Amino acid sequence: MNETRLSRRALIAGAGTAALAAPALAKLAAGGMIDLVLPGGPSLRPTTPAFPGKGEMIVQRIRPPLLETPMEVFREGIITPNDRMFVRWNWDMPTQVKAAEHRVAVGGAVKNAVSLTLNDIAAAGETVEVVAINQCAGNGRGLSSPRVTGTQWGNGAMGCAKWTGVRLKDVLAKAGLAAGARRVRFAGLDVPLTDGAPQFIKSIPMDIALRDDVLVAWGMNDAPLSILHGFPLRIVVPGWFSTYWVKMLSTIEVLTGEDDSYYVADSYRIPAQPITPETKDFPTVPVTAMPPRAFITSHGDGEVVALGKPLVLDGIAMGGDAALERVDLVGKGWEIPCTLGPDEGPFAFRRWSVKLPQVAGDFESIGVRARNVNGAVQPEALAWNPSGYARNVIERMTLRAQ
Amino acid sequence: MRAAAALILALALAGCDSAPKVVFADASITLPDDPIDLPEGPGRDAVIENCTACHSPSTMLQQPKVSAEKWESIVGKMRKLYKAPVDEAAVPAIVAYMMHVQSLPEASR
Repeated sequence: MNETRLSRRALIAGAGTAALAAPALAKLAAGGMIDLVLPGGPSLRPTTPAFPGKGEMIVQRIRPPLLETPMEVFREGIITPNDRMFVRWNWDMPTQVKAAEHRVAVGGAVKNAVSLTLNDIAAAGETVEVVAINQCAGNGRGLSSPRVTGTQWGNGAMGCAKWTGVRLKDVLAKAGLAAGARRVRFAGLDVPLTDGAPQFIKSIPMDIALRDDVLVAWGMNDAPLSILHGFPLRIVVPGWFSTYWVKMLSTIEVLTGEDDSYYVADSYRIPAQPITPETKDFPTVPVTAMPPRAFITSHGDGEVVALGKPLVLDGIAMGGDAALERVDLVGKGWEIPCTLGPDEGPFAFRRWSVKLPQVAGDFESIGVRARNVNGAVQPEALAWNPSGYARNVIERMTLRAQ
Repeated sequence: MRAAAALILALALAGCDSAPKVVFADASITLPDDPIDLPEGPGRDAVIENCTACHSPSTMLQQPKVSAEKWESIVGKMRKLYKAPVDEAAVPAIVAYMMHVQSLPEASR
């Protein structure tokens, strides 16, 4: 790609002052700017189709890549196309992987440590497909109030895909669990640039690892995983945040005790109990299972709707780590149940819609509230935490009638 | 002899009970360039020398407005935890630059 496409000031100039468009700026036509409406800013982000295999994506960072999905992608269906799925890397990843040379080492507390080829993995058990939402633990962090530092995502660090692979438990069986096996830790080919920095390794408890729907996956929406999405293999843990969905899987390590590695013991943690921004020194737990969320996708904040006419609102919802039970449209002092669309499984997005017979005036601060079958429901107020994890406050918007 | 060879071949094929269910091909990618696009300001050189080798400038430019102490702690985390080769003597300049950038209107960053 050319150097000007992602030049921040050039893009802002191009977006705001078309009259100044010079030949150099014409090259920016394929990209644009988007306002994520983050409280207090900075809020503008460039968008670009410049990453291979990706469509128009919001650029949070070029290196290591952090690409956000524009909310408009969620307006139809429940599957996020591969070219619009968000991208998140903690460290630089290799830009080339030779399939025949790739190995997955399975070791630690196992009976026989093994080194598996991709064909060994594919043959380890029955091929399984799971439709599941992949959501960054920090999705929506940029909307925190008060603001917190970290990747300043809007709500587009999420997507839903059909994942294809074999069960992790079948891969573990190639080595056999030894006595005392308690957790399973994953590492990929992405490593720090600097000596001594923590590698991005993550672990899950054995009861999760042995679930029938926890996969070592190679397929995403019937296509091979791309490099940006973790070629050749990634872990899929339906219902859990994608921090555990380790990409470019190269090592599976069975642990007999707690995991004291940085990204489990010190990072990706949330307060054990609700706190306020003033709270100091509180106990924390790992951020793991996803809570329910719902979004209006048919309309944007501030949009104008026709006074006196019927209005249909729709969008997407998720139950998190359990199936979605219901979605309600909520305003100030009222709520209306929404109709749910086809059920593609407990860990998939599900569409909702509601028809309002007549628009009688502005809709001030409306939102949708999801509840899952375990009774978890989206809260009215943000469960603020200093890392901006697991946001699931009811997202509000205002529609103007005229 | 020929019949025996054919039988061995047939047995070999029978042993291969099904076609591979997935074929893995090599993958490679060329990532976009990462222009070092930082507004002018005091300390800009210190940021280029110490920060942008590991990550894009947007990592810093997109952060919400925070205090100098917070920037100091962020740079400290980069040095101590992530082992970034940041010159300790450059830390005040990096912090000053980020405070300067965060005082600019968004459109000029």
